[in-house]
Amino acid sequence: MSLLEIENLRVSVQGREILKGLSLAIRAGEVHAIMGPNGSGKSTLSYALAGREGYEITSGQILYRGEDVTALAPEERAARGMFLALQYPVEIPGVTTMNFLKAALNAQRRARGEKELDAMSVLRLVRDTAAALKVPEQMLRRALNVGFSGGEKKRLEIVQMALFKPMLAILDETDSGLDIDALKLVADGVNALRAPDRAMLVITHYQRLLTYIVPDRVHVMADGRIVAEGGKELALELEAKGYAGIAKDAA
Amino acid sequence: MSARVTAENLFPQEFEPHGEILSPSWFEPRRVKALRDFRASGIPHRRIEEWKYSDLRNALESPSPVAPAIAGPASPDPFSALAGARLVTRDGCLQSHAAPAGVELFDLSALNETAPDWVTQNLGEVLTGASMGQASLALMRGGVAMCIARGISEPIHLRFLQNAGAVHGRVLIVVEEGASLVLLESHAGVLGLTNLGLEFVLQPNAQVTHIRLAGAAPEAVQVEEIGIRVARDARYRGHFSQGGAKLSRVELAIALDGGSAEAELSGATVLGGKLHADVTTHISHAAGKTTSRQLFKLIAGGNSRAAYQGRITVCKGADGSDSRQTAKALLLGARAEADLKPELEILADDVKCAHGAAVGDLDADSLFYLCSRGIPEAEARTLLIRGFLEEAVAEIEREDVRGAVWHFLENALPSVLEAAP
Repeated sequence: MSLLEIENLRVSVQGREILKGLSLAIRAGEVHAIMGPNGSGKSTLSYALAGREGYEITSGQILYRGEDVTALAPEERAARGMFLALQYPVEIPGVTTMNFLKAALNAQRRARGEKELDAMSVLRLVRDTAAALKVPEQMLRRALNVGFSGGEKKRLEIVQMALFKPMLAILDETDSGLDIDALKLVADGVNALRAPDRAMLVITHYQRLLTYIVPDRVHVMADGRIVAEGGKELALELEAKGYAGIAKDAA
Repeated sequence: MSARVTAENLFPQEFEPHGEILSPSWFEPRRVKALRDFRASGIPHRRIEEWKYSDLRNALESPSPVAPAIAGPASPDPFSALAGARLVTRDGCLQSHAAPAGVELFDLSALNETAPDWVTQNLGEVLTGASMGQASLALMRGGVAMCIARGISEPIHLRFLQNAGAVHGRVLIVVEEGASLVLLESHAGVLGLTNLGLEFVLQPNAQVTHIRLAGAAPEAVQVEEIGIRVARDARYRGHFSQGGAKLSRVELAIALDGGSAEAELSGATVLGGKLHADVTTHISHAAGKTTSRQLFKLIAGGNSRAAYQGRITVCKGADGSDSRQTAKALLLGARAEADLKPELEILADDVKCAHGAAVGDLDADSLFYLCSRGIPEAEARTLLIRGFLEEAVAEIEREDVRGAVWHFLENALPSVLEAAP
């Protein structure tokens, strides 16, 4: 059975249909990539998966571990093990990164009926996880994402992924705004989290990221649908032919 | 139609001649002038620009809070856990006369010909121009004056208790050259009208940290006029947090008179229900290289109304001055109102001024971000609201005071959150 199964999904934002019957299935242990030009609906897909308000599902369903999650709030999806790394992580003044991580970790545990972690355990866990991704402790004491560089923000997203240990991770343009060293660091972090019971959906505009995070399947998106599918070599083909060339082949 | 309230019909006994009790010769002309000015300007109302968001006349006309005598429940002392000498006034009059070491204390109810120079030179001479300030000077029954010498380290608590329906009180604080003071001001009055006039004189190199906390008092009308003079290299830091009242207004007039003088203001207003709070500031950069910083955060829930107006004047010749002013408001109630009015007047050439004001709801992107990480919406909202206030509280240097202010704000938050959608 697939970990994630999207069936004929139609999503409208402010009355405009963006996803027009998208279907996709990912099995546990797999890494899938979604590529597509700007405006093809990639970010809408990631927000719809995370349950953001204003992304109205007009038909179709999202089955996660066999359960239709379309009616669930974002926090309920997170507690069930869905995670979205944002393209533009939000800056939140006045809330320290550490306090945020503690609140999030314990909220997820509470929702799953697990015991909350005390401050010391959280501190130790976060510190160790952050160190592996070269996020210094001093950054954790600062306000969440405030004044962080693009690379620091993306690293912190991966720190969260490592902390929350989701079953399904969606990475929305995690490569955007990263130089090559930062990109490798982030990719190493993601690769370290590959596991037989975990699936990942990597959304990207460029092939570059997929050199470091090698996908099992590649889907090409255009105008709110999947228009082509293939193995990892499809990403290279895209790089050579461009989106226009692939879309034509598919048509 | 009922007649409008005027200075005379609101405070008739105060306007009667004092009979035999004449104030000392150095003070009588000031009292007479203040009374004349107050009579001429009358009770401030919304057509007076500085009182645009606080219609005092209207608040005093509607179901009168000026009951003859009241003993309402007192709001708790937010600084009770903090060390320091405690000065208590009741109905504006000083109750305790024990002066902490290094502090010269003078009871303003005993004004006489032999008052110390620091009183005769300054009383009524710092806070000028404000009409309710004139009223408090002319109509006061008492008050506190203190002169701070070098070397005091413990904070001084100044607590205002109230039994009478209408109180006019005065405070004068002179901080000597190189001396420093931490002043913790709190209010227990939850009914009636309080009209206070505070004057601060900071001599060269003096440092003042002034924290004022006023809890929610739906039946009270609280007016406080504060005049501050800052000499060269001296620094005044003020923090003003309030839970609001039927009408609550604090007005600060700060003159940065000496070179490199500094003023730093911060504050948090947290309002629910039908409460009101207005912070109005005027900072005048009168000398070169003076700096001012302001950071005010306002939260208005329910049907409440929060206001901030801040005018900065950089006088001719005040070159190298630097002023920054930020005011932000969160509107959490569908029928709440926030008014922010920053103003700049620059008459010097070489100055840096930055000001910004913004009113909004909680940021939808931030809310989604927190929820997508598993934090339930109600908890995410509370996190964001605390984060919004945190910047203003972080301006307070002392950790123990910061803790007391946080505790105070935490107590004020539930009334706002109830009203949130």
